[in-house]
Amino acid sequence: MGRFIARRLVQAIPSLFGIMLLTFLLTRLSPSDPVQLMVAGNFDITVEDKAALRHSLGLDEPLPLQFLRWIGSAATLDLGNSFYYHRPVTQLIWERIPNTMQYTIPSLILAVLIGAPLGFVAARLRGRFPDHVIRLMSVVLHSLPEFFVGLLVVLILGVQLRWLPVGSMNTVGESCTFCLDRFVHLLGPVIVGALGGIAFYPRLMRTEVLEILGQDYVRTARSKGLRERVILTGHVLRNALIPVVTIFGGLLGIVLSSSLVIEQVFNWPGLGRLLFEGAVNKDYPMVQAVTIIGGVLLLLSYILRDIAYAWVDPRIKVR
Amino acid sequence: MAQGSIAVDRRVAVPIETRRASAGFWSDALWRLRHDPTTLAAIAIFMLMVLLAVSADFLADNFFHWSFAKQDLLNTYAKPNLGDPAMWLGGDHIGRSVVVRLLYGARVSLFIGVFGMLVTLSLGIVVGISAGYFRGWWDDVIVWLVSTIRSIPTLYLLLIVGLLFKLDPLSLAVFLGLIGWTGIANLARGQTFALRERDFVIAARTIGARPLRIMFRHVFPNLLPLMIVLATIDVASIILAESAISYIGFGIQPPTPSWGNMLNNATTFVFRGPHLIYGPGIAIAVTVLCLYLIGDGLRDALDPRLRGIIGGKTR
Repeated sequence: MGRFIARRLVQAIPSLFGIMLLTFLLTRLSPSDPVQLMVAGNFDITVEDKAALRHSLGLDEPLPLQFLRWIGSAATLDLGNSFYYHRPVTQLIWERIPNTMQYTIPSLILAVLIGAPLGFVAARLRGRFPDHVIRLMSVVLHSLPEFFVGLLVVLILGVQLRWLPVGSMNTVGESCTFCLDRFVHLLGPVIVGALGGIAFYPRLMRTEVLEILGQDYVRTARSKGLRERVILTGHVLRNALIPVVTIFGGLLGIVLSSSLVIEQVFNWPGLGRLLFEGAVNKDYPMVQAVTIIGGVLLLLSYILRDIAYAWVDPRIKVR
Repeated sequence: MAQGSIAVDRRVAVPIETRRASAGFWSDALWRLRHDPTTLAAIAIFMLMVLLAVSADFLADNFFHWSFAKQDLLNTYAKPNLGDPAMWLGGDHIGRSVVVRLLYGARVSLFIGVFGMLVTLSLGIVVGISAGYFRGWWDDVIVWLVSTIRSIPTLYLLLIVGLLFKLDPLSLAVFLGLIGWTGIANLARGQTFALRERDFVIAARTIGARPLRIMFRHVFPNLLPLMIVLATIDVASIILAESAISYIGFGIQPPTPSWGNMLNNATTFVFRGPHLIYGPGIAIAVTVLCLYLIGDGLRDALDPRLRGIIGGKTR
């Protein structure tokens, strides 16, 4: 297992390099000039000042050299200073990650806990009424954009009914992490964040269970006269859970992506909100850094997923 | 007599060029599709959307008598009212007609969805099949590229693109395509891996068929059903991505209406005009729902493997 993990970590290096290269190229090859972005709004800046700034940022060097320099400093966890906050971006990001995790992790867990059983039930009762309801629910939820649902939650539960707070992490004046106030504020983001998974898991689980029910080993188990409950838990459920585990990593990508939207809707000061503010302020090291950190988080989740996969299904390690 | 009429139907409905290759499969699929009311309804609604979007100019001139940019500053946040067609869904913060803007937004969203899908599909198929067929260093490069793009949250990447480039619907569609092809490529690659070891491919190689011919005459037709399903679902996910990035404010820029930026607008004015969020939101949801349903229906109709698994009848 140790060797498997080590190999998987080494395999992530090219992707990490790719993420760096892509974000670097995108920002450097775009028509917008970082110096221009930095000094935007200041009209009394001379051409010489700009050239000096360009030189001090190393932007007048050849691109490959710039890239190497940038990678070098990124290796020491230095992704530059924010144009807007004038602080190291890694520090700012580090402060925001826990905020994002606070609602993404509960919403992922909620999604599995609700979605997977629903899929199992749908598969067991295939073609009957609950199956139709679950499938309809899943496809409808799947097609509702998160920001629309989020807006509805804010508008109906927040503004009109006043059951939930309309945004931010705490009521003004309070600043606790483990308390009722935070819990109430978390409800909206967690529910909206979980919707994608709640829509997705039943479909996955249903197909998976149906496929396994048609397998030879299930028929063998049945013909041996095993009790249906033993077959379902021992043969079907165990195998059906494999993709549920593997897809978990991919879901983090969706959750991270939608964090941009969810945090916008709920005014939640997390990673997505930081990225959005960075984009609005044309704070371009910030945007670059959040994208890279998002990529690293995603890569880590893929690695965790593969480890979990290998743990659930030992055949994987052989590959 | 009844059987005779079914046979006639099949002959009419099957496209001639695919009929020669494998008449049984496609006509079978079409038959199943025609007996699937949910999918048919979804196709009908989607077609209606397309029709409305295409005739947006005509409807705005002749039916609503209200252009998408026309303002009515004395009558802002008009509540939905059935008397005036242009105000069926109310007016926004500068008195523009929500219905008319939805129609024009449909144009943008549907165009981006379909065009983006064409980009993902062609790129994904070409890259995926060639990687799966040639393997070696080309495959390594593709796998690296795919895993790189997949490790960056899509919306983050889109936000960078939106921040750095001026996006019109066409360029946004191209970017969405360039970001979204990895899923199709991955599946095409995996399927090609399996297909290239099959007897018919080996046979083709034995008689000296060139790689290009094998890929397009032998591998591609076997992927086509799966790709059609994926393409349908791709249109939906591209529409969702477009609306999300426009909602954030870095996609399609006003005054060009898109469902996403209309929702952005609605958020800003949510306290005075709460009715503004329903139109664009429901429009996105219904379009995406239709496309998912069509995708599901096509999968049931096209994927013969599912039939075996789910036993007897498909439904």
